[in-house]
Amino acid sequence: MNDMSIMESTRAVQDDVKVAIKNLYFYYGGAKPSLKNINLSLSTNQVTAFIGPSGCGKSTLLRVLNRMYDLYPNQRAEGEVLLDGENILTPKQDLNLLRARIGMVFQKPTPFPMTIYENIAFGIRLYEKLPKSELNGRVEKALRDAALWNEVKDKLNASGLSLSGGQQQRLCIARTVAIKPEVILFDEPCSALDPISTAKVEELIDELSDKYTIAIVTHNMQQAARVSDMTAFMYLGELIEFDETTKMFTSPAQQRTQDYITGRFG
Amino acid sequence: MADFSVSDSSAAAADAARVRALASFKAGDRLFQGLTTLAAVTVLLVLGGIIISLSIGAWPAISAFGLDFLTTQRWAPNARPQAVLGGLGPIYGTLITSVIALIIAVPAGLGIAVFLTELCPQWLRRPIGVAVELLAGIPSIIYGIWGFFVLGPWLADTIEPAFVNAFEGVPILGSIFDGPASNLSLFNASLVLAIMILPFVTAISRDVFSTVPPVLKEAAYGLGCTKWEVVRRVVVPFTRVGVIGGIMLALGRALGETMAVTFVIGNSFRISGSIFAPGTTISAAIASEFAESRDLHQSALILLGLLLFVLTFFVLAAARLMLMRLERKQGV
Amino acid sequence: MNPLYARRRRTSTVAMALCVAATAFGLAWLVLILATLFWNGLAGFSLDVFTQMTPPPNTSDGGLLNAIVGSLILTVLGIGVGAPIGLLAGTFMAEYGRYSKLTSLIRFINDILLSAPSIIIGLFVYGAIVVPMGGFSGLAGAIALAVIALPVVVRTTEDMLLLVPIQLREAAAALGMPRSHVIKRITWQAARTGLITGLLLAVARISGETAPLLFTALSNQFWSVDLLKTMANLPVTINNFINNPDPNWKRLAWSGALIITMAVLALNILARSLSAGRQSK
Repeated sequence: MNDMSIMESTRAVQDDVKVAIKNLYFYYGGAKPSLKNINLSLSTNQVTAFIGPSGCGKSTLLRVLNRMYDLYPNQRAEGEVLLDGENILTPKQDLNLLRARIGMVFQKPTPFPMTIYENIAFGIRLYEKLPKSELNGRVEKALRDAALWNEVKDKLNASGLSLSGGQQQRLCIARTVAIKPEVILFDEPCSALDPISTAKVEELIDELSDKYTIAIVTHNMQQAARVSDMTAFMYLGELIEFDETTKMFTSPAQQRTQDYITGRFG
Repeated sequence: MADFSVSDSSAAAADAARVRALASFKAGDRLFQGLTTLAAVTVLLVLGGIIISLSIGAWPAISAFGLDFLTTQRWAPNARPQAVLGGLGPIYGTLITSVIALIIAVPAGLGIAVFLTELCPQWLRRPIGVAVELLAGIPSIIYGIWGFFVLGPWLADTIEPAFVNAFEGVPILGSIFDGPASNLSLFNASLVLAIMILPFVTAISRDVFSTVPPVLKEAAYGLGCTKWEVVRRVVVPFTRVGVIGGIMLALGRALGETMAVTFVIGNSFRISGSIFAPGTTISAAIASEFAESRDLHQSALILLGLLLFVLTFFVLAAARLMLMRLERKQGV
Repeated sequence: MNPLYARRRRTSTVAMALCVAATAFGLAWLVLILATLFWNGLAGFSLDVFTQMTPPPNTSDGGLLNAIVGSLILTVLGIGVGAPIGLLAGTFMAEYGRYSKLTSLIRFINDILLSAPSIIIGLFVYGAIVVPMGGFSGLAGAIALAVIALPVVVRTTEDMLLLVPIQLREAAAALGMPRSHVIKRITWQAARTGLITGLLLAVARISGETAPLLFTALSNQFWSVDLLKTMANLPVTINNFINNPDPNWKRLAWSGALIITMAVLALNILARSLSAGRQSK
């Protein structure tokens, strides 16, 4: 009876949990872990921000979630990362499928060396054979979702590299949402952008959170406060505190969190 | 609730489509990786093929002459009862022409590199750099016929007699620069080689000179050093390993250069002390005799080729190791 | 002025003057060689060079048509075989095998092959192709040229792919793109100009090669496009004609030398301006 109720309660929690990270360790080769025993969950359709000083492991954590580290030899993760309850760290996990479900936007804009249209159509065509008109519709929708359509609709055949930095970043976001992921990871998406572009991208993240589960790594505490529902503070590879953003920024439980947020170190 | 289940099943359908699409990529993915690996291994196979092919071809000569091949000067493919073939002449010619070529090309190449990195006005750097590199692009047979028709006769009329006269009667030097002057000689071959390897020495020296951190040079200029002192005390010591690597690379080229040398060296297997006398090199001997050779004669030519390959292999390997050391120093 | 400083300055001026002299020395050869080529090459130049076959000795007409066509065939075949293998091998080194020991070994060996004497390649192909096939052939010549082109393409491919930022590969992988798609559609695209430059340099390198053709393709006095027979080609034709007392052959040899040099230099300049355009972008 007691057992039953525990199972019931975990299932109730799981309905909300999109990604659950359990006892996660990460090694860049060597014996010293760069992430130590991380436990936390990303809730469905919420924005979770990761903050902490440089080298604290917040970007590393993000790269575990879509197994980007698999591109490099010797890097390995131990523990569990459950996406909808399924462990994605097993060797038999199909990486391409995983990455189609968990999209990522990088620090520097990375438009592909092709036209704006192709930048987006490319990813769609990988998985779906669509008639031209439907493909056009999907490209337009992705660009609208990324609030870029009005700026590029007359030059879809221009090179993606011809756009400004902020536009390029929104193109990358459009590219990511075009293949309909479930989770989007943002790795310091605004650190290479000017304040106006930053505001646009932040606004966009806010809108996207209606449909997607979002994790964002940021150096900028105001940004974390503005866009996120939950905030995780990491330090030296450990998760120090994880709570609702409003609480984290008003009355953190840990002294180190308070020190970082008030700018006493970092 | 109903809404949820709909989105769930459509997500499942999308997932299924993705799984199908990915499965169809998988074979192509494997095939592509396999092809690239195979191509990469081909590079190793080419090296293995060269060594095996030359060793098989050279075997009759090795078993017939053994180590005597390296010390015998006589080259008589038609001697009776058996051909007498010794590689000393071509080996000597190969080494001597390469060394003389280096003596001429290295100072000149370093000078051009200094000019390009330290002296040359910015707008002139590219045109001169390209012009020097074009020298490297000219096919070697062109150097050969130019050396044969233009450079050789001119040298025989001017520089060679001047040297012969100047050193006449001087011990040692007198026999090195002994007459008569000739259109076809070791010296002519060396000068043509020098012109051919000049671009290599220049290009690599320029590249390694540009690896010197500007702050080092600025510090030296800040002390009041002259341009020459900066080059001599900062640039050259900092890049010494790289420059030597570049010189070895050029040496590797000079050792194996064929057509340019074949035209101007005279194809004589006899070793004469004078650098103004005709001679031959390994590659020139192969180029001029191989097509008409048979049996032991051909095998001896392949053996010469094998020796040349081993020699250049070690020179080039040493060059690469030195250049790699410089790269590591840079922390690239 | 301080006499010590005056002496140091004088030394520096002399040294720098020598550097200028060295540059003049280097450039003078280029000018001299090109002048000789134009002088002798243009003297006997006419349209016949491109339209007539190589003549028998002691005639007064004829051209180089068969040799030019033969050279084109050999070069295209050589690149056609060598470049794809080189592209794939360079791709392995920069992508799949980027961190492996095998790649370091291949790079080392490839750099040696890059500078290995071309006549050795000729001997290799003679032993590996000509002897087993029972005779000289255009095919053997093309393979020799392919072996020479291979390391050039491998080297430039690896270098150019390594210049493509790693973030671009990550971004493509983050979309769930299979690795081969990332390479073919993204990395190769991003490095396209550099890859073409490498290809042009390889063409330039092999189109003037003579030594390895001497005992592979040999040459042919007549029109032949049969790959299994000896094939006429410009470098060997120049080699055979230039030493002949027949003035007509000598004239044609100079014309051939001019054609081949201009073609090779044009390829070099094209390759360099391509890569310069990329740098300034």
